[in-house]
Amino acid sequence: MSILDQRKLIESIHPFELLSSSALDTLMKKIDIAYYPKDTLLISPSLESIAFYIIIKGSVKELIDDEVYSVFNAGDSFDADALIYSTTKGKFVVDEDLICYEIKKNDFIDLMQNKDVQSYFLQDFVTRHQNLKDYELQSELSSFLIAKVSDIFLHEACIVEPTQSIYNALVEQQDKKAKVILVKEIDSYSIVTDTDIRKKMLLGKFNTDDTIDKIATKNLITIDINDFLFNALLSMTHNEIKRLVVMNKDKVEGILEQLDLLSYFANHSHLVAVQIDKAKTIDDLKNLQKDFKNLIITLTAKGVKVRYVTKLVSALNLKVYKKVFDMCVDKPLQNKCALIVMGSEGREEQTFKTDQDNALIIEDCADTQKFEEAMSKLNSYLLELGFPKCKGNVMVTNAYWRKEVYAYKNSIDSWAHDMGEDSLRNLSIFLDAKCVAGNCALLDEVNNYMYSHFYQRDDVLAHIAKAILNFQTPISMFSSFVTDKEYNNKLDIKKGGIFAIVHGVRTLCLQYEIKATNTIERIKELNRQGVIDKIFATELIESFDTLSSIRLKAMLEAKDLDESNYINPNNLQKNQRDLLKDSFKIINKFKKFMIFHFHLNMVS
Amino acid sequence: MIASLLKKLKTSANHSRLNDKNFEFLFEEDTSGEYVVFDTETTGLDPKKDELLSIGAVKVKGNKIIISETFEVLIRNSGKINPKSIEIHQIRPCDLENAKVMDLAIKEFLHFIGSRPLVGYYLEFDVAMINKYTKPMLGITLPNKMIEVSEIYFDKNVSLIPQGNIDLRFDTILKKCEVPDMGAHNAVNDAIMTAMIYLKLTKEK
Repeated sequence: MSILDQRKLIESIHPFELLSSSALDTLMKKIDIAYYPKDTLLISPSLESIAFYIIIKGSVKELIDDEVYSVFNAGDSFDADALIYSTTKGKFVVDEDLICYEIKKNDFIDLMQNKDVQSYFLQDFVTRHQNLKDYELQSELSSFLIAKVSDIFLHEACIVEPTQSIYNALVEQQDKKAKVILVKEIDSYSIVTDTDIRKKMLLGKFNTDDTIDKIATKNLITIDINDFLFNALLSMTHNEIKRLVVMNKDKVEGILEQLDLLSYFANHSHLVAVQIDKAKTIDDLKNLQKDFKNLIITLTAKGVKVRYVTKLVSALNLKVYKKVFDMCVDKPLQNKCALIVMGSEGREEQTFKTDQDNALIIEDCADTQKFEEAMSKLNSYLLELGFPKCKGNVMVTNAYWRKEVYAYKNSIDSWAHDMGEDSLRNLSIFLDAKCVAGNCALLDEVNNYMYSHFYQRDDVLAHIAKAILNFQTPISMFSSFVTDKEYNNKLDIKKGGIFAIVHGVRTLCLQYEIKATNTIERIKELNRQGVIDKIFATELIESFDTLSSIRLKAMLEAKDLDESNYINPNNLQKNQRDLLKDSFKIINKFKKFMIFHFHLNMVS
Repeated sequence: MIASLLKKLKTSANHSRLNDKNFEFLFEEDTSGEYVVFDTETTGLDPKKDELLSIGAVKVKGNKIIISETFEVLIRNSGKINPKSIEIHQIRPCDLENAKVMDLAIKEFLHFIGSRPLVGYYLEFDVAMINKYTKPMLGITLPNKMIEVSEIYFDKNVSLIPQGNIDLRFDTILKKCEVPDMGAHNAVNDAIMTAMIYLKLTKEK
């Protein structure tokens, strides 16, 4: 009876549920309950760990270099590393009177003979994360969206030599019932679609005796056989194409048709995209808005990674922007300006419509007056579509964000010069700029100017980077959740976590002149350039993903926009709490990296 | 001074009545440094009429409750169980099918506690219940040192509210000491919770 109660409690703690019933029985005979008053030092570099602790009540702080690194609460356990490696960097101190189970060191080591338990504790951070995520996935609807390209039916590719005549190539295509012809070049492929045949032969000057390579289009859009189907859908939506060439290293595996792909997906993301394209009036667009939210909800419920959901939503929003731009700006003016979006939209990380952060870059010497009316129309359309106004007035209706190239360059000069709060904010916003419509070369020009301006100006960059230290370290926020009250048991996941990664990574990208705006792309690029190593990059991406997905869940549940950044860790499942905690640890690690990288402790 | 002398006299009188040499150990000096926290479930609240249903006990050493040596025994009973008490401790007659006979249960319990000091909540009652059986069996009452947690709790709190009434109900103490409520009320769980209260009250800085 009563022994059973204890057993149930232990069993509810991951990874102990992996133990067999008899192993659990043995374990139960080796567990004690201990009480430690506040401020007791349990483990430290000089005080070797003697037991594995599972908290029943109370909390424990882990300090590294006298800074709170982690907080353990009821249901949490610690510290396997200290036991396995017989050494630790941290100091574990009782923060609130502690009642805990204790498994003695030797018994714990015995327990590790169990393969499942062992791997749980021994795995490094990243794989453990994956483990927890998989575990979480099991409980939710398992997703067919994690299916890979290799899982789906691929059509046989019709590959011909470049010297073959168009006629013979078409015959071969007919034989194979292929929709497209691939032309094998020296070390790449090019493609011939129906459009090519129509444009270049029927309407152009080529005839069936010419060689096929003359009408082929280069820059094949491909996807790796091991990539996710979801990425295939993204690529099709983004590039507005109906099929992808599937590659296995350098070899063509087959053709992935949109029709087959769509039959794989129960949602209608592509339909939404098509409908946006077909929309003729602002009302057509408005009617589509509720599909957006449904799409997000279905996709998250199916366990699709948040970064893919946000990418898809951003791709769709981009289409909306383009459409609205077309509706508002006269054709002759369209090439004389570039519409850019900034902030989360620019980073392709927005889910629901967050504030409009947009701007217009106008060609030098163009008549800026002409754009004013068009932009106010664009602004009002976006409002109608449910993009809220930007509180900081970073919008095309504001003359400050609607000016010529040279004026932007002047702004960059002054931002870098005065380093005031407003300037830093404007600069940060602008760093995420992404061109959505018009003449995108204008943004490139401004960007290049910016890179050259900040080249080797590490002092200025340090000032920009410093903002990541403005907000309390998330883990201390977390500890305030432990002692509760002040934040109403909640923590701000944006300020506390997401901002540090987004802003830190953004600043690094300014330094290394990386053009990507998406945070994950940026981290990958930073890794490629050797700024951060592979493990750290993966850790950062996983942390960012975790924080974003917890935030997305909060957003879906929140009643208003202000509330959506606050989450109550107590309402999270144990697994998620662990993930959140680990993510915060990584953020602290990242902050330390930034302090070192930019010598932030020397910047006042 | 006189009190301790009286106590000594009482103990030796008790000792002289012991009629089974095998239980001499109850009167030996305790060197284990451990305490035993225990609780009983009974058919009612009158030691004269009611009977023992189960005993739960844990050892406490230093700041640890040694769960690995938990003592738990269910006792086969002669009389009928009062339906009212079934609601409280949830021991139904059918649960007692594997139970031990009284004599054996009491003897095992005595071996478990040895001469260690006993700790409990409203200990007087539990000890009286045990004595009810040891007296006819061995001629003695429990000679162990007794520690009452509600008394420690009272002493600790009376200085804060000298004139006030101190609520000594188990649930109240549990809450005040911030000890987790383990839910089901059975002898072992109650003993563990009492042990936690005891640790909290004596080890708190």
